[in-house]
Amino acid sequence: MTALALSHPAVALLLPLALLPLLRTSATPQAYPSLEPLGGDPLSAVFSWLLRLAGTVAIAALILGIGGLHLKGQTITKTGEGAHIVLLIDRSSSMDNNFAGRAPAGGEESKSAAARRLIKDFILAREHDLVGVAAFSTSPMHVLPLTDHKPALLAAVDAMDRPGLAFTNVGRGLALSLDIHERDTSAAARAILLVSDGAAVIDRKVQETLRAAFAKRKMNLYWLFLRTAGTRGISEAPPEGEPDTPQAFPERHLDLFFKTLGTNYKAFEAENSAAVAEAIAEISKLERNPITYVENTPRSDLTGYAYGLALLCMLLLALAKAAEVRIPRGSPA
Amino acid sequence: MTPWQLRDWRSMALASALVLTALALVVPRVTVQRTVYNVMAFVDITGSMKVRDMGSAEAPVERLEAAKAVLQRLVGDLPCKSRLGLGLFTERRGFVLFNPIEVCENFAPIEQSIANIDWRMGWEGDSMVAKGLHHAIAETALVDADIIFLTEGQEAPPLPPGGALPEFDGERGKVKGLIAGVGGQAKVPIPRFDGEGHETGAYAEQDVVQENRTGAPPPDAEQRPGYHPKWAPFGSDPPTGDEHLSSVRTAHLSALAAQTGLAYAGLQEEPDLLGAVMRAAHPHQTSVAVDVRPYPASLALLALLGVYAAPLAARALAKISHHKTGQRS
Repeated sequence: MTALALSHPAVALLLPLALLPLLRTSATPQAYPSLEPLGGDPLSAVFSWLLRLAGTVAIAALILGIGGLHLKGQTITKTGEGAHIVLLIDRSSSMDNNFAGRAPAGGEESKSAAARRLIKDFILAREHDLVGVAAFSTSPMHVLPLTDHKPALLAAVDAMDRPGLAFTNVGRGLALSLDIHERDTSAAARAILLVSDGAAVIDRKVQETLRAAFAKRKMNLYWLFLRTAGTRGISEAPPEGEPDTPQAFPERHLDLFFKTLGTNYKAFEAENSAAVAEAIAEISKLERNPITYVENTPRSDLTGYAYGLALLCMLLLALAKAAEVRIPRGSPA
Repeated sequence: MTPWQLRDWRSMALASALVLTALALVVPRVTVQRTVYNVMAFVDITGSMKVRDMGSAEAPVERLEAAKAVLQRLVGDLPCKSRLGLGLFTERRGFVLFNPIEVCENFAPIEQSIANIDWRMGWEGDSMVAKGLHHAIAETALVDADIIFLTEGQEAPPLPPGGALPEFDGERGKVKGLIAGVGGQAKVPIPRFDGEGHETGAYAEQDVVQENRTGAPPPDAEQRPGYHPKWAPFGSDPPTGDEHLSSVRTAHLSALAAQTGLAYAGLQEEPDLLGAVMRAAHPHQTSVAVDVRPYPASLALLALLGVYAAPLAARALAKISHHKTGQRS
């Protein structure tokens, strides 16, 4: 599909002016004796109309050129490898600490800074993905819809190491991520990448909603757990004698809950930035599904051609002008 | 009568049209300096932004929706290469959703992100506007931008008696920009929502904190019924007031603007923020390539039209003059 368009459509209102040469000739009217008795001369008629046409085309081409004639940018649907991914980012304040659980000292990276750097690389490397961003802390926050605008995505990821809020409300964050996926109707492979450094109890009611939503739609779930060194891992069973409750071991129970969702789920525990890098590389390897994506071709400017055409027509007119014979006026017959 | 004098004129016109068109084909793009802006917009998402008193009396619009519409319009109006970031405000702080990004290239995601701002994103019922503004300014300074802070300006809980503003420890004037007051001047009730998000009426007088009793009591407290300097320094009656009603607090916001070196604009009076941003924010110069070809091309068009239109004009003129001479004889 090709489509011509003007950058300034209002200029097209001038186009009727191009009819002017059909009404008037560019030749200078001169007094000469009547040629009526000679009868019609087809060649002259052709020339006359040719010149008028040249004038029309010249004016129209100039108007289109001024209006910014171009071939519209097109979207080409292509097939590649990738997925539609919603990044669900924990913005609670513990993300501001480093992997050792302290506020980062000189030269150290906070957990979120490390994750931020690696996630940005991930986004840049994934050519055909659509990525959406949601944040959660005390409440879930919609940040960006599924989009391929990398600068916007990078700016959203950049904001993740700003000081965060107090709590971690994973459940509602997940519900929001599912909601972002729900709004996109394409058949692409879908994934949610949860980046957090902790977990919290998910309300029973919310658990049921999530279970139903995950059952409805095939969705891969990745949990990038930025673990503080020395703390308990996700899969570690509680020591003998301690009650195994979600309140006491939220990470373990969140993991157990995710495993019951019946969806492709994988948790990555990362205790340092190298482990984060490994996890992201693996996710990148896993999310290679055939995907249709649109590639935007830039619009191509046709103004130059319009001006060129106008110039050509005007040259024709100028030639005719140069050939014009001037009949001396009022000379004795 | 044949206008012979037109003959040379016409050749000249055609020749100049020719030359000008040729010029249009060869002129390079010209780089010019354009003024652009770099702003972080913070939107107040507290409960009082749910009041429907923006727009006209016949078609009232919710404050939050009005603020979002104004921001979306601004994104379209800002000159290309300007940058805009987005943040939220409730409680006592700003929360950055994304850092400033270029507005033309990223128009679609910015617009949708604004459309998705919802009061349910709020994490706390409080609305400490002054503290929130100070925090948002600090966040804005981190990305070296200017600020647009959209709020109705009602402190909840109210400021301590006397109404002294909390201290601003930022550098005044480093971050420029404006506070945009959202809401009407008349005091109206604030709608109330249950846990499921259904509207359940409005806040009553005793539902909200009417007086801040954390600091020293006001000087006139001795006059109050049941006053006791130790046991009832604020008097014994429950506080009364109209904190459960909401209007745009122009005076408070103007005072905050003066304190922090920002400008103030009332959205009900000025729904187009571009002018306010241009007046208040730091202008940044950037060079953009501009297509100047239309200028010689337009002149060429004029000249070419002249070639054809001149005889018509000449004839019309001739007619008029002929008419006049006819009258005279």
